Amino acid sequence: MSPLLEIKKLGKRFPARHGREPSPWVLQDLSFSVAEGEFLTIVGPSGAGKSTLLNIIAQTDTASAGEILLGGASVTTRDPRALKPGIERRIGYVTQDDNLLPWRSTIDNVLFALEVQGKLDDASRARAEKLIQAVGLAGFETYYPHELSGGMRKRTALIRTLVYDPPIILMDEPFAAVDAQTRTQLQADLLRLWEMGRKTIVFVTHDITEAIALGDRALVLSKQPSRIAAEHTIPIPRPRNVKDIFALPGFAATYEKIRADVQ
Amino acid sequence: MIDATAPSPPVRASRRRTHLDHLLVFAIIIALWSLATWHFGTYWVSSPWAVAIRFVETVASGELLRHAGYTLSEAALGTLIGGVPAVLLPLLLRRHPVVVAILDPFMVGGYGAPKLAFAPLFIVWFGIGMESKVALVVTVVFFIVYFATLNGVRALDARLVQTAQILGASERHVARSIVLPAAIPSIFAGFRIAVPYGIAAAVIAELISANRGLGYLVQNGAMNFDTTGVFVAVLMATLLVQAAISIMNAMEKRLLRWRPPSEPWLETGT
Amino acid sequence: MTDVPATMADVASPPTASRKWLIHGGRAALALALIAGWEYGARTLGPLFFAPPIETAQRLWALAVNGQMLSDIMATLRVAVAGFAIAGIFGVILPFLLRRSPRATEAVEPAVLFTMGIPKYALAPWLILWFGIGDMPKLVVVTLVVFYIVFITTFAGIRGVDRRLISMARVIGASERRIAREIIWTSLLPFFFTGLKIAFPRAVSATIVGEFLVSTQGVGRYIEGARQVSDTTGVFAGVVIALALVLAINAVLNGIERWALRWQPVEREMEL
Repeated sequence: MSPLLEIKKLGKRFPARHGREPSPWVLQDLSFSVAEGEFLTIVGPSGAGKSTLLNIIAQTDTASAGEILLGGASVTTRDPRALKPGIERRIGYVTQDDNLLPWRSTIDNVLFALEVQGKLDDASRARAEKLIQAVGLAGFETYYPHELSGGMRKRTALIRTLVYDPPIILMDEPFAAVDAQTRTQLQADLLRLWEMGRKTIVFVTHDITEAIALGDRALVLSKQPSRIAAEHTIPIPRPRNVKDIFALPGFAATYEKIRADVQ
Repeated sequence: MIDATAPSPPVRASRRRTHLDHLLVFAIIIALWSLATWHFGTYWVSSPWAVAIRFVETVASGELLRHAGYTLSEAALGTLIGGVPAVLLPLLLRRHPVVVAILDPFMVGGYGAPKLAFAPLFIVWFGIGMESKVALVVTVVFFIVYFATLNGVRALDARLVQTAQILGASERHVARSIVLPAAIPSIFAGFRIAVPYGIAAAVIAELISANRGLGYLVQNGAMNFDTTGVFVAVLMATLLVQAAISIMNAMEKRLLRWRPPSEPWLETGT
Repeated sequence: MTDVPATMADVASPPTASRKWLIHGGRAALALALIAGWEYGARTLGPLFFAPPIETAQRLWALAVNGQMLSDIMATLRVAVAGFAIAGIFGVILPFLLRRSPRATEAVEPAVLFTMGIPKYALAPWLILWFGIGDMPKLVVVTLVVFYIVFITTFAGIRGVDRRLISMARVIGASERRIAREIIWTSLLPFFFTGLKIAFPRAVSATIVGEFLVSTQGVGRYIEGARQVSDTTGVFAGVVIALALVLAINAVLNGIERWALRWQPVEREMEL
């Protein structure tokens, strides 16, 4: 079986502007693949081009070299005008900023994708309501984003993508901006939701603990120009208890190995 | 839990004090006005009392409201004819920056132009009836609202558009569900400035040449040395402006519920 | 409909050479089209409605040569500058005085907002009764129009001074004089220019409207006088002078501002 998503020798440099030279390579010769139902985490130091990598996969940015295969077919483009963000709804993207629409209430933000995709019906509404319950947002449906806490906004952004069920979901440090306690809770929520559907997830983070707690497999990015420096399979069985992840057998050894690879 | 909507005693007390201060300022203004009337005579400065009586009389007889109605229709029609394309143009041209760039020097010129100075030209073209006033209001409103909307569209957060596209929004959805709501605060800011200005423009055009409207009443009152008539007409025009502002405030409050509450205008910042 | 990414990035991207040509060509074409429309209007509607461009240009030339253009412009600018100066002084000082007492500010707020809505020009006929047809009624109107603009802008400016910057300066031991010069002045400068840029052209425009209503000289007098004798060419020439005058003032003020605020990113301010 071919992998669901395959990245082949991907490279990226930003184009010349105002007579300046093009930027040095941000990503170079970067290759990896993701199997269906896999939870892949990617760890890298800040400035390693993690966001750039996800932007290219989600097609909000172009690649300068290499190829991306989705379900075995190439979806690569070099032309910024030919980009298809989210490539026909097959790739969901939870960004670092929640990017909620400030003029829509929680429920309307969650229903937005269904609305624009013309999939709004009783079944999808019920599904949205179930997700809202599952992440503890019940009672906050009519609140506007500015009335929610940071953690609640993250949850809303998360289920806004889960609700339309894209085959692959990219996550760019979605929990980086919240406090440690909320982050652990959000991680637990995410794992619980993932166990329900076993979506394919590519989760980028600079936090090694997070990468171990969530992933089946963790890739380590090198400094710029970034490529895959190492690959680790996480030996911790599921379901995992995120709060006590430090105490679980295998954690300490994996942590040490990854830390040695992250420069 | 404490009910957050009920003001605590000290807040209520300071609010009562503010209301008293407002009354005091009002009383001082009326007192100064009466003093001026007493000093210069009613011929030069009509008394507050006479203005109030005449105001009630002419409202009751329907005359004042009829003239106010003319001015209001000129301003409303002009705001509509000037405002609608001014909102639509930047929204439609969002994906055509070259067209916006071509239009830019002309729009900047129109924005900076002394539109009120065009009033005689419009009277030449459209006569002394309603049309020339509407035309003046249109030019006044159009450029202000155009740039306000353009600013709103330009300030649009590109990440929201991208997020919507990833979620599967078509260009039409992006325009309707992202660009328009994001621009609404700017559009409102534009109308907030344009509407009072538009009402003033209608009055000015009537001052120059008209046979009805509040500007005509002012001119007519001055011609007959009737300062009471002048003051009543000016008061009515001011009330029109205040009414327009109140309506816009109410609309804004309804339409922009999603925004965190902002500070009032003349807030002291202490 | 194609789903090309609709980011504003394509607006911000540097114009390529061909794009630059397209923009300049488009502007030239639009300008020509406007003049052609003017000429067409003159031919179809007749000179009573539309003065032909050539005749308007000839009139402008004649006015420039016989000196009337300059004397009218000077008459208008005289009133505009005087009104602007008086309004500027009160409009700047009053907010500074009010700032000392939040209670006074709150007390006068409704009165300020209400009187701001008075169409000030409508007072002109009454002022003419008072002062006759000299410069005085215009001066009062211009002063009132400009005062509110300066007042509101200055108030916003004072409020915009970052209090944290001031307390930081106090903590590191800066003198009050130094704080006034270094922080309050530089923070107020952008607002000063905003006020100037909005208020001065407005003062000129208000003077012209004042001249429509009462005057013996000035650009507004020339336009309105020409209208009253159905001299459409004169109306056109006068409007062109008014337009050129205000746009030239705008350009000069923009130039000064760009020079004084080199350290700031450029933005187009809203009109008040």
